[in-house]
Amino acid sequence: MADPLHQFQIQKLVELPDVTVPGLGLVDLAITNSHVAMTLAFAVIVGFLALVTARPQVVPGRLQSVGEQLFGLIDNLTESIIGHEGRHYFPFVFTVFTLVLAMNFLGLFLVFTATSQIAVTATFGALTIGVVLVIGFAKHGLGFFKLFVPSGVPWVLLPVIVLIEFVSFLLRPVTLTLRLFGNMMGGHVALKVFAGFVAVAAVGGLGWLGVPVAIMSFGMVTALTALEFLVAFLQAFVFAVLTCIYLNDVVNLGHGH
Amino acid sequence: MAGSSEHAVAAGETHATTEAHGSGGLPQFEFQHWGGQIAWLLVLFVILYVLVSRVFAPRIRGVIDERASTIAGALEAARRVQAEAADQTRAAQADLAEARAASHRVAAEAKAAAAAKTAARQAEEGAKLAERMAEAETRIRASRDAAMSQVSGIAAETAAAIIEKLTGAAAPAKDVDAAVAAAQGAAH
Repeated sequence: MADPLHQFQIQKLVELPDVTVPGLGLVDLAITNSHVAMTLAFAVIVGFLALVTARPQVVPGRLQSVGEQLFGLIDNLTESIIGHEGRHYFPFVFTVFTLVLAMNFLGLFLVFTATSQIAVTATFGALTIGVVLVIGFAKHGLGFFKLFVPSGVPWVLLPVIVLIEFVSFLLRPVTLTLRLFGNMMGGHVALKVFAGFVAVAAVGGLGWLGVPVAIMSFGMVTALTALEFLVAFLQAFVFAVLTCIYLNDVVNLGHGH
Repeated sequence: MAGSSEHAVAAGETHATTEAHGSGGLPQFEFQHWGGQIAWLLVLFVILYVLVSRVFAPRIRGVIDERASTIAGALEAARRVQAEAADQTRAAQADLAEARAASHRVAAEAKAAAAAKTAARQAEEGAKLAERMAEAETRIRASRDAAMSQVSGIAAETAAAIIEKLTGAAAPAKDVDAAVAAAQGAAH
């Protein structure tokens, strides 16, 4: 049976020289299948948005409607979670959402899923928390640390609460990273495993028993594929929602808690 | 088996890495591939962020706002037209009521005029009739008086003739006349 983890292997397509970046160490600049998948996702988003906004009309066509739905989804999200200031943070949330969404979906059509690479999801997670930190310190200075001190807590409990809040804040990028990574990887592994059963049965590896196994496994693959489409959208949406919630924590720090 | 051809193609380039994942680790944890992916993702992210914030979001927001203002304008116009129509309806109703009142007034006037004319005509006819009746009555009275004045002559002649027959002598005409007049006065 094919190794279900093989699909996550990074493969160099074009060799480029390694460079040494101070602080990071040796970085391999080679163009890999992951680069291609990310670039494709990027190209799909840019192409789609360019098409949607090429000749915007007051009475929208079908494509423009889809684009506006996508726009409205994130616009409502930022507006409802962050409030009237949400508009400033819309481009960031929209960029995160569309990139994750496109990478998730392309993974279902092509052979490589960029969001099943922990390097990619960790970048998204770190980027989100980095932006949260930058905005928090830019808006509130050292008042940012009030984030860890919820108001109305008895002072006896304060050390414990502050510790819990601090640890939960530290875990935010980790959970962002692992949730997306785990969902995408798990789904693709499951797909590959069941598809592998079908393949084994098809070459006669299981004899007559292969017929029911192949039929059941194929049904499973079909159902899982449908589920993975849902997961692909849902994980991108969850990422966007959590990004909004974390941004809201620092944008509206001190009020609305 | 599915994927075995991929294996063969990839085998040459990824010999070192397949060894690593053959030893049980996930391919995602081969850290030598992280730097390139992270750097490239950041580049793509920044470009897309700039495109979204500078080009795509303003365009879409622009058309959505334009649509909102178009709809608001159309609603406003519709509301204005509706108000206008309501005003016109009210004016038309007022006109109608006025016209109805005017027609009622004209009808009443005409009726009154007709009634007055009829009454005048009736009065005129009545007067004419009364005059003719009075005329007739005077004529009747005159002829009765004439008849009555001849009655005394006849009575005197008759009385003289009766006296002559009874007494054989003619009574003086003066006495007869006086007696007739006295009888007439008693009869009256």
